[in-house]
Amino acid sequence: MTTRAEFVARIRGEMAKTPGLFPAAATARPSRPRERLEILRHELIERWPQSLERFRTEFERVAGVFHRVPTAADVPALLERLCHERDARSVVTWGPAALGVDLAPLARANLAVESMPHAAPPPAERQRLRELIAHADLGVTGADLVIAETGTLVLRAAAGRPRSTSLLPPCHVAVFDRAVLVETLEQVGIALEAWHDGPVPDARGAVINFITGPSRTADIELTLTRGVHGPKEVHAVFVDGGLPVTSDE
Amino acid sequence: MSEPLVTTPLRDRAQHALGDRFLHEALDIATTKFIGLRREAFGNFPEGEALRDRARAIKEAALQRLDEHLERLVDNVERLGGHVHFATTAAEARDIILAIARRTGARMAVKSKSMATEEIHLNEALEAAGVTPVETDLGEYIIQLAHERPSHIIAPAIHKTKGQVAELFARELGREVAADPEVLTRIARAELREKFLQADLGITGANFAVAETGTVVLVTNEGNGRMVTSLPRVHVAVMGVEKVVPSMTDLMVFLSVLAKSATGQKLSVYTTLVQGPRRPGELEGPDEFHLVLLDNGRIAQLGGTLREALYCLRCGACLNVCPVYRQIGGHAYGYTYPGPIGILLTAMLNGPRSVKELSHASSLCGACADACPVRIDIPRMLIELRKEVDEQKIAPWPERVAFRALAWLLRHPGLYRAAARIGRAAQRPFVRDGRIPALPSVAGAWTRTRDLPPVAARTFQERWPALEREAR
Amino acid sequence: MSASRRVALMITCLADMFYPEVGERIVRLLRRLGVAVTLPAGQTCCGLPLFNSGYHAEAATVASRAVGLFADAEAIVVPSGSCAWMVKHEYPGLLKDSPEAAAARRVADRTYEFSQYLVRGLGLTEFETDTAPGRVAYHDSCHLLRGLHESESPRTLLRNLPGVEVVDLPGSDECCGFGGSFSVRLPEVSTAILDRKLANVEAAGAACVVACDAGCLMQMKGRLGRRGSPVRAMHLAELLARERGGVR
Repeated sequence: MTTRAEFVARIRGEMAKTPGLFPAAATARPSRPRERLEILRHELIERWPQSLERFRTEFERVAGVFHRVPTAADVPALLERLCHERDARSVVTWGPAALGVDLAPLARANLAVESMPHAAPPPAERQRLRELIAHADLGVTGADLVIAETGTLVLRAAAGRPRSTSLLPPCHVAVFDRAVLVETLEQVGIALEAWHDGPVPDARGAVINFITGPSRTADIELTLTRGVHGPKEVHAVFVDGGLPVTSDE
Repeated sequence: MSEPLVTTPLRDRAQHALGDRFLHEALDIATTKFIGLRREAFGNFPEGEALRDRARAIKEAALQRLDEHLERLVDNVERLGGHVHFATTAAEARDIILAIARRTGARMAVKSKSMATEEIHLNEALEAAGVTPVETDLGEYIIQLAHERPSHIIAPAIHKTKGQVAELFARELGREVAADPEVLTRIARAELREKFLQADLGITGANFAVAETGTVVLVTNEGNGRMVTSLPRVHVAVMGVEKVVPSMTDLMVFLSVLAKSATGQKLSVYTTLVQGPRRPGELEGPDEFHLVLLDNGRIAQLGGTLREALYCLRCGACLNVCPVYRQIGGHAYGYTYPGPIGILLTAMLNGPRSVKELSHASSLCGACADACPVRIDIPRMLIELRKEVDEQKIAPWPERVAFRALAWLLRHPGLYRAAARIGRAAQRPFVRDGRIPALPSVAGAWTRTRDLPPVAARTFQERWPALEREAR
Repeated sequence: MSASRRVALMITCLADMFYPEVGERIVRLLRRLGVAVTLPAGQTCCGLPLFNSGYHAEAATVASRAVGLFADAEAIVVPSGSCAWMVKHEYPGLLKDSPEAAAARRVADRTYEFSQYLVRGLGLTEFETDTAPGRVAYHDSCHLLRGLHESESPRTLLRNLPGVEVVDLPGSDECCGFGGSFSVRLPEVSTAILDRKLANVEAAGAACVVACDAGCLMQMKGRLGRRGSPVRAMHLAELLARERGGVR
């Protein structure tokens, strides 16, 4: 079995044979990414209406469904309507601290709403939850970043925000406000640099997902079909009045 | 040597493909569509050209400090609780993965599409070891049922019509199935959902790995990549060493050009950044994360003629525009990677002997280099491979003799002129109506389908004295 | 712009042997434009077939000879995009460690493909034709398009021909399938690629397909002839008779 040292030594040996094809440098990185991100956030908040408009256009271009509500309190009614339209009975959601929306009203509408726990439960409970999520009709999450350029939702997994909520149910609904809007992929790069800045591994979960519309394939005769393994529908709900800052920020 | 040398002549394999009506139609539809989608995406993207230049520069810069970046990557993956393994050969990579499967008691592995795992022929090895591999990407699922290999880098089953897919599914499920992509997709979704939830092991490739953070990046559309990296207990990612990129800032440059080049999308539906195994408090995620770094001929090219081929993002854009690929499809190439970049990768993995004929499966038109998001000069390297095939005496000796004779003739204008006169005389029995419809031997390869013009009664250089007099 | 009006013609092996009338038209046209044309004696080939098949040492010997023949030319005109590419793009590299290195660079700098010489070299774009080609479609030969980044000059010349209708050719930038030895190594693939090109020409309703490369023309003429097609394949020079409105 090749050891790390042997492997790297071979690479060094081959590298020594040539200076390369042309002078080249990696892209300059922000030297203080967290500060840079803060400054960026302040700039972006000035332009949020344009970003939202662009996001809506791009999101709809990839078959996302866009909604807009005045306050967080209006979200449950919207979800209830979506469930009703789809004959959906079972909803799974990010934990309340992560979501920033109180979904208690949904329970009164005869819907089974399971909120994801903040700490990892024992194996038996994890198995029950997995089954539940696998059979849920609707998954509700927040979003850590919403990218206008591409119509993309960026979700960081963590305690209380499992990956499957936005993956297993056939309908995914993401709730967000103006604070998470960014314009370009380049700006996302600044956020990613900031999130990973520092000696301690990020306290969040082990996965960051960029979601650009519903799951799709064109593997058969290049005919586009949606809802292959991931959700068939993705909804984005913009809350004008804003959401409380989630406890993981 | 990763794969055994293919012995049937390329010309025969090509002819076989040309005679396949279904393949022809499928290829025409698919490649034409891909070309249009890519053109539209970049047409609406004025920053695209500068970003392609940037992407190329990052790839070159990364190779110039590959040792540092890999060391940093390994340290970071380990810091996040993952394990890194080093595979010099395809066999070693298979052994590493089988050992992980054995140790963790895996009986079924769900796989997200990975050309790297195709390259090392992993599935056969898993099966032989009693681990059932289940391909979950729809295209890979289809070819797994058909016992075929992928025919395109990103759309593995593009050579199949929906009728052929329906037949396959019907045979697998033992019931009638409509030849409708929606229906077929729904069937695949249902069949595979259970597998995701039950599998012990998830195996993926990796589009990029970010050295600065230890992040492995998967670019997918279906959702299977996310399933495979979240649901099973163990996740193994197999990745060529050249895929490492220095930072998150660099990563965004690649993401901005990759999907556009491949399918015309601004981004694929899912870009998944995997950072080690499940964290404390997470409901889901693997208990173990393994990254298998694959050499298999890549490292030797750092100082070799195919270095630029290491920039490849595996987007498939070069396949879609290649006039040869568009006619013969992927299987005729005979190895894991088809198309223009595929010829270079085949040489990288299997040595120059494997491309004795393949290096000539190109008219050197350059459409591939034009389409490549990182501007790899594929034609230049194809010519280099031809040179190697000649210099290492892999090319047949009559050919080498003929070309050397040609060179000698071209250095001797008297002989060149004589050749014209001899040609004129020799062609007489063959000329009909001012053209040559049939000739024996090598020239017959031309005349079977095309007329040849005869050598002119007076060549231009023979006419020159009269032309010169005209001017006075 | 403003290339020398004293040019040396690199006739190319294919034009020399098979299409000498194209060479004649070019010489007569250039003279009408007041350009003095010489033909360095003893030309053979630019060496591209050797280069493309990987015989680089041999290609270098042929290149070296060619550079010697053209070393003192003020401008070199080539009626084929692929040969012009070979000289401009590959000669300097092939000869960089040889005594001809500086001459090779000079020759490369001063070489023009024919349509480039007219439009970019002399700044002339308006010509008349003495041919009645019918509807004309232009085929971008690969080395001219992608090697020399030239797609405009031939089109400008064609569009400005009075009485000539130029139609858009779908896939004009797609290869014709010639590729030199490729055409006989994989003849069936070469022909399949060619048939796609000709199907596009027919779909565009063209009576004539025009190109600036003898290899492409040999490939297309060969198949059109074999199929008994009324469509003609012509070199751009065959459509240019004289400068428009000119006395010459």
